[in-house]
Amino acid sequence: MRWLRQFGLLALLSAATLVMLIPVIWAVLTSLKNPVDAFTIPPTLIFKPTLQYHYEIWFEKGFWTFLVNSLIIVFFTIVISVPIGTMAAYALSRIQTRQTRTLLFGLLAVRMFPHMLLALPFFVVARFLHLFDTYLVMVLALVAINQPFTIWLMRSFFVDVPIELDEAARMDGCTLWQTFIRIIVPVVRPGVVVTSLFSFLLAYNEFLFALVLTGTRTKTLPVAISEYGGEDITYWSLSAAGAVGIMLPILIFMIFAQRHLIRGLTFGAVKG
Amino acid sequence: MTATTHRGILWFLVPSMLVLACVLLYPLCYALYLSLFDYYLAGDGPVFIGLGNYIDLLGEGRFWGALSNTLIIVLAGVALEFSLGLALALGLYRLKLGAHALMVLLFIPHIITPVVAALFLRWIFVGQWGLIDATALSFGVLTPDWLGSPFWAKVTVIIADTWKFAPFMMLVLYAGLQSLNTSVLEAATVDGAHGWRMLTDIILPLLRPLVLFVLAIRIMDAFRFFDTIYVMTGGGPGTATETLTLYTYAVGFARLEVGKASALGVLTLVIVAGLVAATIGFLYRREKGQF
Repeated sequence: MRWLRQFGLLALLSAATLVMLIPVIWAVLTSLKNPVDAFTIPPTLIFKPTLQYHYEIWFEKGFWTFLVNSLIIVFFTIVISVPIGTMAAYALSRIQTRQTRTLLFGLLAVRMFPHMLLALPFFVVARFLHLFDTYLVMVLALVAINQPFTIWLMRSFFVDVPIELDEAARMDGCTLWQTFIRIIVPVVRPGVVVTSLFSFLLAYNEFLFALVLTGTRTKTLPVAISEYGGEDITYWSLSAAGAVGIMLPILIFMIFAQRHLIRGLTFGAVKG
Repeated sequence: MTATTHRGILWFLVPSMLVLACVLLYPLCYALYLSLFDYYLAGDGPVFIGLGNYIDLLGEGRFWGALSNTLIIVLAGVALEFSLGLALALGLYRLKLGAHALMVLLFIPHIITPVVAALFLRWIFVGQWGLIDATALSFGVLTPDWLGSPFWAKVTVIIADTWKFAPFMMLVLYAGLQSLNTSVLEAATVDGAHGWRMLTDIILPLLRPLVLFVLAIRIMDAFRFFDTIYVMTGGGPGTATETLTLYTYAVGFARLEVGKASALGVLTLVIVAGLVAATIGFLYRREKGQF
């Protein structure tokens, strides 16, 4: 009886999972179809798969350049945002006064701001300073909107490190900086990895800022695919191939980050 | 820690705070300042008009339309996401085998690039060739115009939001369920709590801080809901699915009226802050002094 129940539950949840994944599965199938198979009524599951459109979108249609743009922006966002956020998080985990608490909640409130309210002045200032369509302005924007997240998440790792460890290191003659770099950071290394992974996710997926701050030279993958696949359905196989390709790094991300999803997505507030 | 250490460690805050001041705080203040000007970016310089932009917006049908669209989509979306997420979380909590694998799979819609997710959904709902229409047509069933009729476009956008964010609710609530003390649940079972009553009288009250947290987060995020609608309907047909964010985009980046768009952004912020405060206040008061 109990086994029957478990089996029923498993079947029900598997069915729900399948339904949730239909759009993804459908896009993957479409990306492997020739148009003659893509435009059939009823939709067909039996066809001769081809990788031609994956090849075409990334190489002949030049999507690889948008991948390069995305990777450059993501890389610099992470190498700036994570170190400075980690330093700030360390300070905020070691000093607990009313001021630092105010600062932490102020950072959380930043999450409330409509991104549009930041994108507008960014756009205006970038035009003035001739920074429009440069990597620099995108990296700055992404670092800024990632800071609150990075600080909160890293802080949740630092507070788990007993302060006695700092004190012992200081006693042995380490300076503050040495204590931080040689003793504390190695202890929270898993936290740094998780924070970097989630910073990757945020920067890679970002759309609004990329839409208004990048042009032909620095266009990122989300903007490119939105222009390509939004309107015209005649390029269906091609745009499906592009969209599926963009999704692949994220599926790889899932494999690495699966145990840390909850913590990463809740600012470290919920330790799953 | 000693006082000198204390002061020394403050230096660790400097790089981050400098970046935040220059790249976050300054632009925000600049937006506030801009919102007081009539400023057409492709034309003459800014002209100071005080609260003119705000007064214009509040007297405008399109603003109230965008606000009501936003509220409809946020409230319907968040309610659906919460119910579906809770159902999935409870199911996974009871499941003894395979829960982790299913959870990871269920989480894919939430984690993929929003623009890509929106395209995936577009290809399900698009007229005639989309998966739904192509399937229905072959059975001779007529379907609504998912993306083209004002009513159904709203429904489609709400479904899209639910598809994308129910997994987030599921994940957080699942983590909450696992942190519950099983002896409390067992005691409740002995006392005769089952099924629905168990959920509403025992589990949900125990999860209140978490419920509060996810609802607040989702309401904040929902007001930034942009990518999906931009790709799926572009705010259309007409302005049927135009939210505050999309309207701001249209004013600021299509019409280049950056002063008015800034005012719209500030108004959005005020509304979000109000709603979040109300949510927290509402859930807070129900149990005096505690969440």
